[in-house]
Amino acid sequence: MFYLSYLRSELLRRKGRTILTMLGLALGVALVIVITSLSHGLDQAQKTALNPLSSIGTDLTVTAQEEGYGGGAFANRMLETNLASLGKAGQHFSYDTFSAGTQPSFAQSQANSVSSISGVAKIATGLTLTVTHQEGKIPKITASFRTGGQQINVSGQTKRPSAADLAKMAACLAKQEKKSSSSTKTTATTGGQSSQSGSLSGQGQDQGGPGMFGGGAAMRKCMPASMKRFQKTITTRRQTLRKQVNTPQTNIKTSTYTIGGVDTSQTDMGLITKTQVSKGRFLSKKNAREALVANSYASSHKLKVGSTLSIKKTTFRVVGLVQAPLGGQSADVYVPLKQLQTLAGQKNQINVVLVRASKSSGVGAVEKKIKSALPSAQVASNKSEADQISGSLVTASDLAKSLGLALSIIVIAMAIMLAALLTLSSVAKRVREIGTLRALGWSRRLVIRQITAESLTQGVIGGVVGVGIGIVAAAVINSFNLSLSASSKVGNSTTTGGFRGAFGATQSAAQTTTSQVALHAPLAGSIILIGFALAILGGLLAGAAGAFRAAQLRPADALRQVE
Amino acid sequence: MSTPLYELRGATRSFQMGNSTIKAVDDINVTIDKEELIALEGPSGSGKTTLLQLLGALDRPTSGQVFFEGRDLASLSDGELAELRLRSFGFIFQQFNLLSTLTALQNVEAGLAPLGVSAGELRERSLAMLAEVGLRDRAFHLPGQMSGGEQQRVAIARALLAEPHVVLADEPTGNLDTKSGADVIALLTDLAARHGTTIIVATHDAGLAARAPRRLTMKDGKLATDSKKTRAAAKKR
Repeated sequence: MFYLSYLRSELLRRKGRTILTMLGLALGVALVIVITSLSHGLDQAQKTALNPLSSIGTDLTVTAQEEGYGGGAFANRMLETNLASLGKAGQHFSYDTFSAGTQPSFAQSQANSVSSISGVAKIATGLTLTVTHQEGKIPKITASFRTGGQQINVSGQTKRPSAADLAKMAACLAKQEKKSSSSTKTTATTGGQSSQSGSLSGQGQDQGGPGMFGGGAAMRKCMPASMKRFQKTITTRRQTLRKQVNTPQTNIKTSTYTIGGVDTSQTDMGLITKTQVSKGRFLSKKNAREALVANSYASSHKLKVGSTLSIKKTTFRVVGLVQAPLGGQSADVYVPLKQLQTLAGQKNQINVVLVRASKSSGVGAVEKKIKSALPSAQVASNKSEADQISGSLVTASDLAKSLGLALSIIVIAMAIMLAALLTLSSVAKRVREIGTLRALGWSRRLVIRQITAESLTQGVIGGVVGVGIGIVAAAVINSFNLSLSASSKVGNSTTTGGFRGAFGATQSAAQTTTSQVALHAPLAGSIILIGFALAILGGLLAGAAGAFRAAQLRPADALRQVE
Repeated sequence: MSTPLYELRGATRSFQMGNSTIKAVDDINVTIDKEELIALEGPSGSGKTTLLQLLGALDRPTSGQVFFEGRDLASLSDGELAELRLRSFGFIFQQFNLLSTLTALQNVEAGLAPLGVSAGELRERSLAMLAEVGLRDRAFHLPGQMSGGEQQRVAIARALLAEPHVVLADEPTGNLDTKSGADVIALLTDLAARHGTTIIVATHDAGLAARAPRRLTMKDGKLATDSKKTRAAAKKR
């Protein structure tokens, strides 16, 4: 076909202009595709982040009001771990403590009072706790010293007695002698002769030398004090000295994460639902030792489906990864409610009731009813949760909403304008050629058709190239794993609770949950089609502009043009 | 008496140049018959090109009429004029006006393509025509790769391909050296004679003009002399 070979020759032999026109359109299309898919991605991210409750099939959450100042008893509790009780120094230990954060627990039975309120279609219960996990080697904390218990023996010799001492002794002895004999008489008269005989014989023996040391009670009695032998045993007081040594340098790591107990009896409503599962599967209804892990937590802790998690020495198997919703009810790890209640020692305790209203229009009314029925409860709606979410996601989303469309229009308009200008300049340069074609007998229609076909071809190729660039660009954006943060304050409390770790190591657990929402540029077929259509439209508009200009001219005027 | 090829009645073409009106062709009355070589002489700016454009239906007269084979060109639609240019007129320009992106063959084909003949026939006829102008072996060359004489021969092939009734040549040798110019004129007159085509050629070339059976001279847009009239007058005398 002559016209096609003409078109081909024209485009191929004017490569520079053809490429420029095509690239202009291609870049326009690529930009439109990228911007559209980005704003689409932002929209999706926003939906998951800004509608934290609806994503988990919930309209309202009911929690207990915090007591007292500063978030109740738990919030500012000091966490002290008696490491010594965990084992011997040098042993590895792993220790988990559960705390309720800002949401005090209450009995599960109280949820029934919510479900009986009219307008409530369905409720689910949940328990969200903060787990403080400590792990490491038990440090050497104390040094013990046992002292005392020794026996001390002291012995020694006394001096020889002086003459005066001896005289005194003799007198004493004589006196004892006398006393002794009289007492013997008395004894004899009163009987008991036999018992006395021993004593008498003894006395007889003593008689042998009154000046001699030793022997006989009388002798001992009469010895001067200084001559008595000195002997004593002293026992020192027993005591154990315990001294705290310097703060030990150990590898104890303290980390905290939130854990959610999921009501597994329901799959479409709860702290987490089936729809948030991005990999793997949802928790089974069997109250098994299974866990779901939030994507962000999984990636930072290198967890995947099939990994195991040890929570308070109980092993849970990760069965799925989830995109946790933002807001007060989000958690890093989800396990069946009963498992968590057992682990945390909070049997039949929950700290949130998720409520679904029977009509979406009735949410406000239900909210009021719950508030009046349970004055101490705190009721949060989707909107109030969303209002507390801030961060780059919100900013980006707002930006995309206001700028995305305008930007797309500007970009494509510029691309079309560029293509039109290039076509016009090409037509201007080809006026003589067009005049020649007219002189050869080409009708106006044929000339317009030829020029439009050229532009259209450039548009189609530009569109294909642009779609290609757009797809690659979107893939690149996706591979960068850009993430936007969205922060949500937990509950109404703005108190920042602090957990004091052992040994005074302070670690703050902020009461805002920040969720990283991955920014994707999802490529919908419609976006690609629209981009492609825009390129063709651009080519057509450009071609029409050029062709109109060409058709305006009389052949004679066209021929008169100097090249 | 048969219908003349052309009949011009007071044909005038004026251009607005700022405030003044310039009559490039001013009240021309002439009749041209078939199978003639007509030389259109006159200095530059005397209106030769404009007259050729009026004859070739590339332009419309501002006043007066141009009849081609008995039809008033002014009464025809754009489509009909295009048809006429395709089938009845062949143009040859001083600048050759080949399409620079097309090969010699494609350039020749462009002169017949709108007729809607099959691609095969179009190619066959175009190659045959290129052979007639002695450029069969240059069929796949681009205009930029050919000499001026060769380019003009391609233009001649293109103009004659549709077997037009009239070839309108505007200074065909103006951009050629003497030798190529002579070759081109020889080729043109030879082919025209063979195909029974009338040639109206605007030229400065006195030698070429001298070979023409009929010579029209223009001056300031008016027809100054017409050799046919001169001869008739001479006969009368």
